[in-house]
Amino acid sequence: MGGRYGAFTFCDRITDYVPARRARATFAVPPKLAEFSPCLTAEATGQLAAWVAMAHIGFRGRPVAALAHDVRMQSDVRPGETLTLEVEIEECDDNAVFYQGRAHVGGREIVRLIDCLGPMLPQDEYDSADDLAREFALLCGEGAPSGRFDGIGPHAMETIDASANSRSARLHVPVTAPYFVDHFPRRPVFPATLLLDHAIRVAADLVDADVANSAPLRVAQVKNVKMRDFIRPGEDVLLRVTRMTAGDDGPRVKLEATIGDRKMATAQFAFAQAVLEAA
Amino acid sequence: MEFSQQQIDAVFPKVAEVIADALGCDVADVKLDSSLIDDLDAESIDFLDLVFRLERAFKVKIPRGKIVEDARGDLAEADFEQKGIVTEAGMQRLRSFLSEVPADRFNSPQKAADIPRLFTPKTFCKVVLRAQKTAQVA
Repeated sequence: MGGRYGAFTFCDRITDYVPARRARATFAVPPKLAEFSPCLTAEATGQLAAWVAMAHIGFRGRPVAALAHDVRMQSDVRPGETLTLEVEIEECDDNAVFYQGRAHVGGREIVRLIDCLGPMLPQDEYDSADDLAREFALLCGEGAPSGRFDGIGPHAMETIDASANSRSARLHVPVTAPYFVDHFPRRPVFPATLLLDHAIRVAADLVDADVANSAPLRVAQVKNVKMRDFIRPGEDVLLRVTRMTAGDDGPRVKLEATIGDRKMATAQFAFAQAVLEAA
Repeated sequence: MEFSQQQIDAVFPKVAEVIADALGCDVADVKLDSSLIDDLDAESIDFLDLVFRLERAFKVKIPRGKIVEDARGDLAEADFEQKGIVTEAGMQRLRSFLSEVPADRFNSPQKAADIPRLFTPKTFCKVVLRAQKTAQVA
């Protein structure tokens, strides 16, 4: 499946919508997937905020992920489950959207987004305003067909450096990938949430040694995410994660993603021991 | 002078904390007259972040991207900058508005796009004080 509005669009139907204020939507995670990472759930929530923000300004601008002060990753959504996405827009205009969000499955919270901010960029450079307006009307009406998302496999990464307190890995962003059809049709950009997904894998590799004989660690919180520049198809990104002073619940790690001399993104990850759920 | 040193000093500790949080630097490195871009490695996205954090910290409303607009005042855009370069009249406004910035930091010619390079923590203290003043009037 995949394709436009299937390759990297995570909303089946908007079920409640107050213009410029709030929205609720559903997204059924296709059962065929092996997993749907918390980063993708955060992406889904952010995309709902983007729909509300774009609709508010007549689709002439689109927000891009830039800042997330605090993202709580409480648990995983399982393939076959349906996410409820909710966003509260605190502020939205031609310059930026500022919002809070959460995603849950029947009240079981998966992800909470606290104080997120996306600057608005000219829509024409990235996508078709008319197409987006039509898709938004569909989402607000009968909804789009579910099950279109085919998943995204991990991209090629090679470890450059590994020590007790840091890891560096080079992430090869593909020149072509199905998700660029959605993100974005006129100007492909590597999604920030995929960058974080891969960085979390590098960070997990760093902290895994801490729990050799106990429950595994999972990332519980992503703080101070700051996307500073766009990553283009075909670029190699250096992901460097470094230990910070441990928190009460587990290790903390900071990320710096660079391309050459350019700092592309920074963030901090807090890990906690996974609570093993009954099957 | 728009605000007294005493007024600036009253808000600076909290502004410095907010800047340190936003930029991930040590609060001790945040001096009143540091250049946020050249000395503290801030980027344009950091200014947006800073404004939101300052709003939260001081419970005020700060219009986005208004510093340059405020600096221009009632001067028409074409009189403030031409082909991306700040005009002589514009420079007078800018020097007056950013009175906290040492004279040698202004370029000649001064590119409009480089104006944020002049911003210091004191610039943002004044932004907060202006927002507080506006809130009192409203």
